[in-house]
Amino acid sequence: MEAPPVTAMPVTGGSIHMMEYLLQGSVLDQALESLLHRLRGLCDNMEPESFVDHEMVFLLKGQQGSPFILRARHSLDRPAVPWHLRYLGQPEVGDKSRHALVRNCVDVSASHSLHDFLLEMGFRMDHEFVAKGHIFRKGALKVVVFKLFRILLPGNTENTEPLSLSYLVELSVLAPAGQDTVSDDMRNFAEQLKPLVHLDKIDPKRLM
Amino acid sequence: MSGGPMVQISIESACEKQVQEVALDGTETYVQPLSMSQNLAKLAQLIDFGQGSASEDEGGEGEARGQEWGKQEQEEDEATVKFQPSLWPWDSVRNNLRSALTEMCVLYDVLSVVKEKKYMTLDPVSQDSTVGKTPPVLQLLGKKKSLATAAQLLLKGAEKLNKSVAENQENRRQRDFNSELLRLRSQWKLRKISDKILGDLSYRSAGSNSLQGRFFPHQGTFEVIKNTDIDLDKKIPEDYCPLDVQIPSDLEGSAYIKVSIQKQAPDIGDLGTINLFRRQLKPKSGTQPWHLKLEAAQNVLLCKEIFAQLSREAVQIKSQIPHIVVKNQIISQPFPGLQLSISLCHSTGDKKNQKSTPDKNKPDDHLYVLEHNLHQLMREFHKQTLSSVVMPHPASAPFGNKRMRLAGPMAYDKAEITSLQQSEGLLEKIIKQAKHIFLRSRTARTIDSLASRIEDPQIQAHWSNINDVYESSVKVLITSQGYEQICKSIQLQLTIGVEQIRVVHRDGRVITLSHQEQELQDFLLSQMSQHQVHAVQQLAKVMGWHVLSFSNHVGLGSVESIGNASAITVASSNGEYSRNGPESGCKVMVQFPRNQCKDLLKSDVIQDNKWNYLRWPHKEVHWSKMEGRNFVYKMELLMAALTPCP
Repeated sequence: MEAPPVTAMPVTGGSIHMMEYLLQGSVLDQALESLLHRLRGLCDNMEPESFVDHEMVFLLKGQQGSPFILRARHSLDRPAVPWHLRYLGQPEVGDKSRHALVRNCVDVSASHSLHDFLLEMGFRMDHEFVAKGHIFRKGALKVVVFKLFRILLPGNTENTEPLSLSYLVELSVLAPAGQDTVSDDMRNFAEQLKPLVHLDKIDPKRLM
Repeated sequence: MSGGPMVQISIESACEKQVQEVALDGTETYVQPLSMSQNLAKLAQLIDFGQGSASEDEGGEGEARGQEWGKQEQEEDEATVKFQPSLWPWDSVRNNLRSALTEMCVLYDVLSVVKEKKYMTLDPVSQDSTVGKTPPVLQLLGKKKSLATAAQLLLKGAEKLNKSVAENQENRRQRDFNSELLRLRSQWKLRKISDKILGDLSYRSAGSNSLQGRFFPHQGTFEVIKNTDIDLDKKIPEDYCPLDVQIPSDLEGSAYIKVSIQKQAPDIGDLGTINLFRRQLKPKSGTQPWHLKLEAAQNVLLCKEIFAQLSREAVQIKSQIPHIVVKNQIISQPFPGLQLSISLCHSTGDKKNQKSTPDKNKPDDHLYVLEHNLHQLMREFHKQTLSSVVMPHPASAPFGNKRMRLAGPMAYDKAEITSLQQSEGLLEKIIKQAKHIFLRSRTARTIDSLASRIEDPQIQAHWSNINDVYESSVKVLITSQGYEQICKSIQLQLTIGVEQIRVVHRDGRVITLSHQEQELQDFLLSQMSQHQVHAVQQLAKVMGWHVLSFSNHVGLGSVESIGNASAITVASSNGEYSRNGPESGCKVMVQFPRNQCKDLLKSDVIQDNKWNYLRWPHKEVHWSKMEGRNFVYKMELLMAALTPCP
């Protein structure tokens, strides 16, 4: 059985600007099981998927002040799947009433030679990490619960140590620009996880 | 008496006179009973006069006199006393028996008085009516009071019982609502919002979401309400349920999707009025009414979704013959002259729109298999959106088709991408299935009609049990009755596809027939005729005749309208031979050598005797007058007749 027929997306040429709506939170290791149970109940009825991904962040220093950041990610437990390249723009400084972090997002699938290609292009690898966790979905909503692992020797993904004693929880939706109802749905979903994990929009600028 | 041996007691009248002496001859001398004066004297003797107020003299005199009397008495008494010691151990028994007898006599007397009333009757003792009689009013009052107290006690008890029963029932009803709610929750999704309990009966959690969800955004929420409008005093009905569900108004009633194939409707204006409804399914006993209601509503939702999907595809997908979507019906043409209609029949429970069809379709016009398949395909769609294939790896990748994500890295060209994206929709699949079903049934009908029409070569069809939705196969054998072993050269394997029938012949030829019914029929008829000739060929082998020539497609003779004529020439061992013929009737010609023909003109031309053995012209056999059940049989007889005896 192939994909559902007749895509509804009108493709008018050029790319559609997709925005990523993001909410983040974290839970301690002890609370992971209960969170997974809860997510399993709230999200779509599927077998829980686990993943092990290796992500590399590349920087391109240009004449302007801020460098251009690209994230290249590939799956360690499914090596046949193509790499994924992602560009995340600056978070939109919209009205404060928006409940989620909104930023421009470009996703590209790439072949396995991405790493070399980026190096050839002039990008420099800034840092890399391994993420291990579970992925859930509810409709268009994606919930990812994962743990970050630091790579001790560059290039060696076997030798890793956990970065912290907690799991990072990310709730994200990819939607075309302008749909604000998405953030309301996200907030409602986050409400249901409330006592276990508090999902908030965390502005990365503020952390620096 | 206990302990001792059994003593037989016989009751006889007490002897009044005591035995004084038993003479030697057995006569008994009785003691004369004491006369009254003697008795008195005896009794007086017992009185101790000395103790009384009387003087001693008197007492003495009395004594002396008494003594005198007593002596006389004593003598007699002694005489009597002498006989008494033998009765002493039985004295008490005798006394008891005597008293028992007395009692019995008295009782008997009383009973006889009561019964017979001859000499004596019982008379009640007359009561003194003047003393102590209470007036009837007081008696009545007394009785009333006592009854009232008794009744009050009973009423109090009954009230207590009533109260406890009512409490029980109320408890049960309360508990029933909660237990019903529990049962409801075990089968349906519920959530509590403020003070209302809402449920979800859509297929969203089963995968109806994403693409379809956007076009079919039915919420499918129902509300759970407590059924409190029951009157406690009245009898609770059998199917009472403390819980009731309220479903959205457009999901009320029940619906089903009807798929049917008809001959093309002459007028398009007739469409869109189909709203036939079949009888309600009887609910299984033991299922709750809310369950049935919710299930029906869910079914309506699914049917609506299926129909929405089908109509969307019907409008969007380009096909050679456009599909028509009219109200609640989708009409398409799988084959020319044929019409496939898929309609959504939704009855909301009120009977007023049930009689709206002008033309009644036959009840078994449904293609139930296709309806079932529609439901299955829809559920497949749902499941497919939920499958783990959809999950992105690596995790940051967006949701979407896994194959499409490969398009970039693998550098697919446009053709490959379009082939990836193009997948059949629900409507196309159903139309293909309908085509196949129709073709299969028509093929079966053709074969069956031929089999019933033509008897001589028999046509057998063996359908395979395991078929695909798009493909079925049947093996067709053409045989002659009685000669199946020797004439099995025509065996056809038909594979019925969606639009074509592929025939594989035994000798390896592959023929593709279109969906036209006539083509198959012609083909089978031509095969049947060929079979006859093949049969003769085999028969010749068996009978010892030689096959001189054999042709499947003979160019001579009259032109056949369908297929080609086939012919065979066989020769017997000494020369007679017969030629079989074409399909539009079998023509058998026999040729005899010259010397066997009777009507022969003698002529002098023939020099040598060997010329007599040349063939004379053919003579046609009156085939219809031949004996025999079928062609091969007749042929066998003919050949047997013509075979020369050794």
